[in-house]
Amino acid sequence: MPSPAIEVRNLSFAYDKELVLQNIDLTIYEGEYIAIIGPNGGGKSTFLKLLVGLLEPTEGQVLVYGRPASRMRHIFGYLPQNINFNLDIPLLAREVILQGRLQSFKFRYTQEDIQKVEEVAKRLGIEELLERKIGTLSGGQRQRVLLARALVSEPKILILDEPTASVDIKAQKEIYRLLQELGITKIVVSHDINIILEGVHKVLYINRTLIVHDNPTLHIHKENEGHFCEMELFEELAKRCDHG
Amino acid sequence: MGEMLTLFSDSFVAAALLSIAIALIGPLMLINRTGYLAASIAHGSYGGVGIAIYLGISVLAGATAFALALALLLAFLSQRGAKHLEVLIGVLWALGMSIGIIFIDLTPGYHSDLMAYLFGNILLVPKSDLVYMLIVDGLLLLFVWRYYHHLLAMAYDREFAMARGVRVGLLHTLLLVLMALTIVMSIRSIGLILVIALFSVPPFIAERLAKDFRQTIILSGILAFVVMVAGLVVAYTLDVSATAAIIIVASVLFFLSLIKGRS
Repeated sequence: MPSPAIEVRNLSFAYDKELVLQNIDLTIYEGEYIAIIGPNGGGKSTFLKLLVGLLEPTEGQVLVYGRPASRMRHIFGYLPQNINFNLDIPLLAREVILQGRLQSFKFRYTQEDIQKVEEVAKRLGIEELLERKIGTLSGGQRQRVLLARALVSEPKILILDEPTASVDIKAQKEIYRLLQELGITKIVVSHDINIILEGVHKVLYINRTLIVHDNPTLHIHKENEGHFCEMELFEELAKRCDHG
Repeated sequence: MGEMLTLFSDSFVAAALLSIAIALIGPLMLINRTGYLAASIAHGSYGGVGIAIYLGISVLAGATAFALALALLLAFLSQRGAKHLEVLIGVLWALGMSIGIIFIDLTPGYHSDLMAYLFGNILLVPKSDLVYMLIVDGLLLLFVWRYYHHLLAMAYDREFAMARGVRVGLLHTLLLVLMALTIVMSIRSIGLILVIALFSVPPFIAERLAKDFRQTIILSGILAFVVMVAGLVVAYTLDVSATAAIIIVASVLFFLSLIKGRS
């Protein structure tokens, strides 16, 4: 039995007085691959920030390997939602990826850091992008650079908030194939439910509260149609929520 | 030409020291989008000038204390995501200037040229200001050298930087504090009203030409020095205000860069 990587206990979170997440209990085990879905504004990104320790719970706690999440940030590889990046900044893709090697009291990059960037770039097939300004890359290219930044720290837990936003279908498949190959704990928010389900152990549906859907491919995949839409999954999970 | 060099020797030193400051803080202001905060500190600092004149203490000391207080307040408000932040910034901007004007009005028999603090005069920079500039340049160099990669991470993606353990709150506060000191060091040479233009235009043009951020810093410094020297030459030739000539040269370059960017 794998040991717990993340334990969420009676977690609630409110921005000012607006309750965003309520009474969430969850254990994520080492090596699990978790997909998170739910409507916009339902609290998915907030939940990820609480897991990474960027936000403090209003109530309850998040433990990462038994310690408060805010003290364990260094073990995460994190890809935030693609909304607040400053694309005007004259930064090379290589420099952006190197940022994944930063730490609180580490101010200079080492030869090992530079080597790791080369390795990850090769693995993701983005070597030719390294010397390009980040602002000149297409959405898909930029997402792969940001994925490289999340991976370059050799994280124990990978947390990705919509990693395939603005990425074409082919690149999406490549990204999810790569995620399947990684043997680490992975938590991914995505709307690309058809692609992500391959290899996923649990689907979490978050809309202020949490519903865990174990073994999603067995329960949800429609044999005749070959795929389903996110709305159908929402409806099924919402029904379970109503009955639960 | 020889006469001009002799006449302007301190001005050239001031221009060189200002260029170093602009090279270091200007691009950081640009990529962190703190231009509006800097403008608020610059104008608000006039309160410190007025209080210093009223109390009969050093204007540099008064402006420094006031600008630092403003910088810390703005750092606190902006990091807390205060509601109506833009309005607050605007109010602090106007409040500082009003305090300055009122204290100068209350100062008995004060008839000095107030415009000198608002618009500056690089031809009349005292030696004490050059020392102040040197110290601020030193602090800026130390700051950028130490936190270079952390500053870039914060500017590009604040949330990720925090996740990596970068102390974003501390860096943001230090950035505003150093911006405040840089503004104060420019009071008598460029003036509180025009300083932001000089701190924005060279980095803006440099950012478009540079391959990476290091080049942006170096190019900003070179452009700032060229703009100031060209402004001094124009002022000497046409016998007009040096600060206004410098800002006009900077503005011409700015619009040329925009036109070139479109073509």
